[in-house]
Amino acid sequence: MSQYRRLIPVVLIKHGMIVRSEMFHIHQVIGNPIDTIRRLSNWNVDELVLIDISDHDHHDMRRDDLYVSYDDSTTLGLLKQISSVCSMPLSFGGRVKTLDDARARLENGADKIIINTKSIETPEFITQCSQEFGAQCVVINIDIRKEDDGSYGVYSHSGKTKTGLDLIQYAQKIEELGAGEIFLQNIDRDGLGNGFDQDIIDQVAKSVSIPVIACGGAGSYDHFADTFKNTDASAVAAANIFNYFELSYPKAKQHCIHNGLSLRPVKLDNKWFPREPIYDLVETKKRIDDRMARATELKNTPNWNEPKKMEWCTNCTYPKLSATPLAFDETGLCTGCKNSNVKFEIADGEWGRRKEALRDIIARGACSKKSHPDCVIGVSGGKDSYFQTHFVKNVLGFEPLLVTYYGNNYSEAGERNLRRMADVFDVNHIIYHPGVPLLKKLNRLGVQIMGDMNWHGHVGISTLPMKIAVLHKIPTVLWGEHGYQDLCGQFSMNDFIEWTYRNRLEHFARGYDWNYMVGLEGITEQNMYPYQYPTDQEIFDIDLRGVFLSNYTQWDANKHLPLMVEKYGFEASNEPFERTYRTGSNLDDIHENGGHDYLKWIKFGYGRCTDHTAKDIRSGDMSREQAINLVKEKDHIRSKDMNRWSEYTGMNAEEFDAIADTYRDKRVWWKDNGTWKKHNIWDT
Amino acid sequence: MQLTIIDTKAGNFGSILNGFNKIGADITLTDDYDAVKNASALVIPGVSAFTRGMKGLNDAGLVDLIKQRVINDKVPTIGICLGMQLLAKTGLEGSDNKIDGLGIIDSEVIKLSSTSTDYRVPNIGWYDVKRHKNSVLFPDNYEQDSFYHVHSYHMVCNDKSDIAATINYDGTDIVVSIERENVFGCQFHPEKSQDAGLELLDRFVKEAKSA
Repeated sequence: MSQYRRLIPVVLIKHGMIVRSEMFHIHQVIGNPIDTIRRLSNWNVDELVLIDISDHDHHDMRRDDLYVSYDDSTTLGLLKQISSVCSMPLSFGGRVKTLDDARARLENGADKIIINTKSIETPEFITQCSQEFGAQCVVINIDIRKEDDGSYGVYSHSGKTKTGLDLIQYAQKIEELGAGEIFLQNIDRDGLGNGFDQDIIDQVAKSVSIPVIACGGAGSYDHFADTFKNTDASAVAAANIFNYFELSYPKAKQHCIHNGLSLRPVKLDNKWFPREPIYDLVETKKRIDDRMARATELKNTPNWNEPKKMEWCTNCTYPKLSATPLAFDETGLCTGCKNSNVKFEIADGEWGRRKEALRDIIARGACSKKSHPDCVIGVSGGKDSYFQTHFVKNVLGFEPLLVTYYGNNYSEAGERNLRRMADVFDVNHIIYHPGVPLLKKLNRLGVQIMGDMNWHGHVGISTLPMKIAVLHKIPTVLWGEHGYQDLCGQFSMNDFIEWTYRNRLEHFARGYDWNYMVGLEGITEQNMYPYQYPTDQEIFDIDLRGVFLSNYTQWDANKHLPLMVEKYGFEASNEPFERTYRTGSNLDDIHENGGHDYLKWIKFGYGRCTDHTAKDIRSGDMSREQAINLVKEKDHIRSKDMNRWSEYTGMNAEEFDAIADTYRDKRVWWKDNGTWKKHNIWDT
Repeated sequence: MQLTIIDTKAGNFGSILNGFNKIGADITLTDDYDAVKNASALVIPGVSAFTRGMKGLNDAGLVDLIKQRVINDKVPTIGICLGMQLLAKTGLEGSDNKIDGLGIIDSEVIKLSSTSTDYRVPNIGWYDVKRHKNSVLFPDNYEQDSFYHVHSYHMVCNDKSDIAATINYDGTDIVVSIERENVFGCQFHPEKSQDAGLELLDRFVKEAKSA
C-alpha cells in the first residue's frame, strides 16, 4: 500500500502553556509549546493537532528568567510563533466561531482548522468554511462519551454539553456538508491510558468516506498498533503519552512498523529544524546589555505599583504565583497537595508491583555477561544520591555506575559525602570536573542572563549521566525524584513520567541550552563539552530511558536522611542552613540553598523554606502554623555564601543586587519610596 | 535574485513563507503587478478551489502577465499544490464544469476518485514520491522519500515528458510533480514535508539563482 497512515501528536494549550489533560477537566501545565513543537519538527512527525482550550484570549508566560517569551499574548500571536518552528502539517482548534476566526488562523500558520461547538450549533458553518477555504482544511471535531447504557453521546462545549445527536448520522451529515476530515475524541478515555475504543472508531470510519482521526486513550505503543490494525481510521492521535516519555513518538511509530503497519519511517535529527535552539549571538549580547541598563534604571525608580493581593494554597504554603506550574481547585487546594496525598495513599502491594516494574526496566538493559554496569546514576553525593544507590545496589541488586558533575560549590561535609560513595557502596564512580575558570564565567553569565548562578550545575547534572550512559551504551539512567511531580503535582503517579530532553531544556536550563553560552566571555564549543546532550539518534539507538525512582518506591526525604546516616555514615550539616531549617538538603552546593535560592525569593517572593514546609505539611510532619512561622523567619534571608560567591566570581554585592532586582515579578513585588514590599502569607 | 510569491488569495501562505525563510531564501508575498513583472523567480501557491485561485489571479490582473513571464521570459516558476494545478489548461469547478487555467502545461485537472476505503477524498496524508525522470526537483541522487499531500483534484499531463514524479493512489500512478524547462510544480506540500520538502525547495531556489 502506498499511502501511509498517520500517527499524530496532539498538543493541548491552555493560556499559552502545554497542559496534561484528564477526562477533559483536569489540566496540569507541562511546558512551553515552542520548544516542544520545534522538537517534533526535528523528527518526521506526520502531522500536529494543536488545540487551544483557554477560556479567554490571553496567554501569560509569566517568567522573565526563561529564554522563550511570546511576541504577543493572543491566540493568533502564539499560533504565528508556533508555525515558524513547525515543519509538519498543523491543524488548529479552539474557539473557531466565524469565517474570520477561521481565516485568521489559516493566515497565521494553521493548515487546517478544527471546529467543534460551532458545527453543532450551526451546521451550515461547515459548508461556508468548506466553500471558502476548501474541504481539505475543514476538520470537524466530534467529542463522544460512552454512556452507562452503552450508547454514544455527542458532546459540545469541550465535553460539557450533551447534544442528543446520533453519532453516525451526525458524522455522515457533516461529510455531506463539506467537512474534509473527522477528529473523533473519546472523552471518557481521555488521559486514562487504557486504550482506544476501537469498535466505535471503526464504525464511524466505515460510515463516512472522509478520513477519520481517532483520539483518546493511548497508554502504550501497543494501543496505537492495535487501533491501526483493527479499525479503518486513517490516523491515530494522542496527547499525554507523547509528553511523558522520551522519543515516544518515534518509538510508537517504530513499534507500529515492527507490527507490519504502513507508517512513514522513523527519522530523527532533521537538518533544517535542529533540536537545540538556534541563538543569535548579537541578540544574546543585546539582551545582556539591556538587562544591565535596566538594572541601572531600576535603582533610580523609587515606586512600583502595588499588585493585586496574593493568595496561597489553603493547605500548604505555596503562593498562587510560583516558579512551579501549580494549579488550584475551587477550594483553593494546590495540585501539589492533591498529588502528594495520592502518593501516601498508594498501598504497599502496589509499591511492591512498582518495584518489580523498575527491576524489569533495569534488567532489560542490564549487562548479561556481568562485565559492564547495569545502569547509571547521576549523584551529587547528597542524601538522595545515597538513597538511589542504596536502592539500586542493595535492594534491587544491580551494579550502578555513579556519575557526578562537580560544580566546585561543595560544602566540606558534602565533599566528604561525595568522596565516600564509591567506598561505602563498593561501586565505580566518575567525577567530572569542569575547569574553574569556565565555572566562574558560567556563574557570572547565569546571573546576568537568567538570574541564577547555578545554571551550569543544573545543566551539568541533567546532561552528564545521559552522556556517560550513551558513551558506555548503558540504556538506563536512574533519577531520584521528579521534582515537579512532587512539589506541584504536575503529573499523576500513574503517568510513570520519564526523563526527557524537554525537562532538561525547559526546567533545568530554562530554555538556554549549552550553545547559548558559546561566544560569551570567550567560551568555546569545546569548553561546553560536558553540557552537550546526546543526540536523539544516540538516545534512540540504545533505547536509553531515564526513570524516576519516586515513581517506583515511596519517596520520603525525611525518612531517607536518618536511614542513610545510620547505614552508610552520611553526614548531615553540623549547622542548619540560613535559608531553611532542613539540615540534609543540598550539601553538594552551598549556593543551592543560599544565593541561588535567594534569587528565587527575589524573583517570586518565596524561597526554599516555603518548598520544604509545603512538603512537610503534606507528609504530616508539620502544621501550617509552624510552617508559616518558619517561612516568616527564613524566606527573606540574604545568606553568607553570597560573600564567597562575590569573591569567587569577582561580581560585587551591589552589582549582583542591581541585576537581581530586574528579575522581580511585578505581580508579587512593589516598591514604595525605594523599599521593596510584598504581600505575606502571615497577613492573610 | 527577487523571489516572489504570488498572492492567489486562495489559502494560507504563512507556511510557505516560513519554509522559504527556513532555507535562507529572501522572499516576498505580493499581488502587485510591477512586483510580478520584475520578479526573477515566481512561486504560485494555493489551496482550496481552482475557480477561487483563478479568480484571485484575474482580479489582480495577473493572468496574462504570468503567462508572459513564464512562457516568454522563461522566469523560473514553481506551482505548489493548487498553484501547480493552475498551470494546467483546464480545471474543474465542482465535479464537472470545466474552466480555463493558465495553460502553461499541456494538461487538465480532474477530480480524484477511489474505489477503496483505504483511499479517501480529500486525499490527506503521506506518500512515497516516485521519480519519473532526472530533473531539478528530483535529481539522480534523490532517495525515495515521503511528502505530505492534501488535495481532491489531480493533474493529468498530455505530454508525459512533463511528469517529474508520481504517487500510487488506489492502484493508479497520479502526477504529483511536473517539470519542463523553467516550469516546476508539486501537488504535495514541500513546506510541510520536513527535510525532504525543504531540500526540494532548496533545489528550486538554487536552480532559480543559477538561471
